[in-house]
Amino acid sequence: MRSRTVQGTVAIAATASLALAACGGAGGPQSSGSSKLTDDKVVIGLLNDQSGVYKDLSGPNSAVAIQMAIDDYKAKYGDKAVAKDIEIVQADHQNKADIANSKAQEMYDRQKADVILDVPNSAAALAVATQAKNKKKLYINIGAGTTALTGASCNKYTFHWAYNTGVLARGTAGAITKAGGTRWNIVYPDYAFGQDMNKSFTKEVTAAGGTVGQSIASPFPSDNFATFITKAGEGNPKVIGSMHAGGDLINFVKQFNQSPLKGKVTLAVGLMFITDIHSLGVDQFAGTQFTDPWYWNFDAQNKAWADRFKAKTNTRPSFAHAANYSAALNYLEAVQAAGTDNADAVAAQLEGKKINDVFLRNGEVRKADHAVIHDVYLAKVKSKAPEDWDYEDIVKTIPAAEAYGAPNPACSMG
Amino acid sequence: MSEQMTAKVDVDLAQPSILSRRNPLRYVLLLAGLAVVVMLPYWIYPPVAMDILSWGLFAISVDLLLGFTGLLSFGHAAFWGGSAYCSGLIASHFGVPFPVAVLGGALFAMLIAWPIGYLSVRRTGIYFAMVTLAFAQMLYFVANQARDLTGGENGLQGIPRSFFGIDAVENDPFYFYYAGAVMILLGILLAWRVVNSPFGRVLTAVRDNPARARALGYDVERYKITVFVISAGLAGLAGGVFAISHQFASLQELMWTTSGKVVLVTVLGGIGTLWGGLVGAGVVVTLEDYLASSGFEGIGLITGTIFVVIVLLFRHGIWGTARNVLRRYVLERRQKSRD
Repeated sequence: MRSRTVQGTVAIAATASLALAACGGAGGPQSSGSSKLTDDKVVIGLLNDQSGVYKDLSGPNSAVAIQMAIDDYKAKYGDKAVAKDIEIVQADHQNKADIANSKAQEMYDRQKADVILDVPNSAAALAVATQAKNKKKLYINIGAGTTALTGASCNKYTFHWAYNTGVLARGTAGAITKAGGTRWNIVYPDYAFGQDMNKSFTKEVTAAGGTVGQSIASPFPSDNFATFITKAGEGNPKVIGSMHAGGDLINFVKQFNQSPLKGKVTLAVGLMFITDIHSLGVDQFAGTQFTDPWYWNFDAQNKAWADRFKAKTNTRPSFAHAANYSAALNYLEAVQAAGTDNADAVAAQLEGKKINDVFLRNGEVRKADHAVIHDVYLAKVKSKAPEDWDYEDIVKTIPAAEAYGAPNPACSMG
Repeated sequence: MSEQMTAKVDVDLAQPSILSRRNPLRYVLLLAGLAVVVMLPYWIYPPVAMDILSWGLFAISVDLLLGFTGLLSFGHAAFWGGSAYCSGLIASHFGVPFPVAVLGGALFAMLIAWPIGYLSVRRTGIYFAMVTLAFAQMLYFVANQARDLTGGENGLQGIPRSFFGIDAVENDPFYFYYAGAVMILLGILLAWRVVNSPFGRVLTAVRDNPARARALGYDVERYKITVFVISAGLAGLAGGVFAISHQFASLQELMWTTSGKVVLVTVLGGIGTLWGGLVGAGVVVTLEDYLASSGFEGIGLITGTIFVVIVLLFRHGIWGTARNVLRRYVLERRQKSRD
């Protein structure tokens, strides 16, 4: 009986303190005006896959990249820094959109995150963008590729930093077709991402003067691509485009290499991360062309940053790591310029800003659709790696305007 | 496994019920449970609290089949997810208050449950599980392909949460919790009434000895279909509230892993206990929520270990074991006072 009384007392005490906290919380930000930080600190949320298939390409190492951005910001501004207390909060969305949705809500509400970064997986990213819109807090997407974020689902508080499926198509399909690979057959996984990729690749191949003979849908996910590869070899194509990602891509490439098509037909890949090459080995991918938003060994500036990253993580950064660094740093710069972490003020600072940093070259935060456009690269996988992680030759640089095209008319900022 | 479990349950129900109508302890427990439901959003993050209640009712709907009728459905995600999408679509297209949308979703779940139940109750045990799983997978692929309606991979985003223009409920998850909790509690009340009714007694008879139930003149198949449809309706109610709470319905809701998770929740809480579903949901949802922010990688490892430990050490699940301990204590005390 006594324990129940104690519980009751605790419950009442908890209620009272929470009610007080709620009142205090409601009064705080309004009275403090727009010149200060909410909760006296800036909180950066990192929401991504920390245990599943996307762990390596972004995952916990992105927190290291964000910490590097915080260190650089503090070193640059020292005592003049508007944000003196900067905190990173992390969560694992396990590649499930509903978990991403509730975690994002929790980050904004309970952990007081001022901005959420990353969120690979398009369904998860769209859910977080909706939360950002409702909560009027910032979200900078890096890991997800869907063009809907800067199209029909765009909003005032969402930015798309690193790449999108349209960029991949324009880069890879355009470049290969213009280089003489005019007859394509495309194999794509039969779900939203694959269907989008198939559509945009077909459009870009045609625009560049090529033809797509067949578009073949393969079940998703799948282990056996033999029949699809044979079918894709029909009609004497010059290029076979694989729109698969992650584990499917690795299986597809393995089986393509065992087929008689290897050496006769160019293999083009829709979306590839350096971690894919690392896991399968450079010889399996040798000669494959793809669009890479950033490569660590491109120039001295990238290399220097990658060396810092390696000193902390003992691995080389993927483009997602560099993009997380760039997004976090530019967010903090915008907070510095605005003098507040108020989302509207920071967004206004970011909009239209031209940026050149380790990740963004000729970068611009486009005001119309919040796509962060920058130069991307057509890469070719080396046949031999001179050192671990040194897998890519950069064939050419695709200028930002060409890579991103015109803003999507479907986007209207509410 | 399920046959062993149900065999255990028989013993439970054969014992004299301690929590009978005249026992004051029953009301104390019910009030304590209600108090926990009311206080939950003060202790934990309100959307997570809503998840616990939704998953609790979902597990109760499975328990209705598994514990009280002896049918292990491995396709309940079809009703949970089907209703999540349907509630979401109703809310998005017609702008009705969310309880109406959720009831619409539950109705949809019952509508699809009828043919599925009609075809699957002819089998029992593992065959029943496989047939229900097959139907659930069909629905999954339909939802994946019907992109214009469901959004495919991207799910149904930005479901509105309208509630008679009351701003607090519509926008604040804390107040929404109470509105949603009322619906969940009504669902639990319905499940409770079903179990403690002549109809529920027949279900137990069907579970324990279908041949004898048939010999006594009960149409076994019809009883099974009816409880299957009721169970689907409850799962639909839970799924609808879940979708409205998240303002989002994704393919995850229809995936077979969701069917698996709810069976896990039910077994953890205790099969054939009804209330065990809520306890199991409380444990699993809080654990997942906690581990997701903890930076620990092996979420499946932890939930898996707990599952194995519970199944090996506490065969009746968490609530089942707790109930047995309580029952023994009360019996002993009664014995003593009689001496």
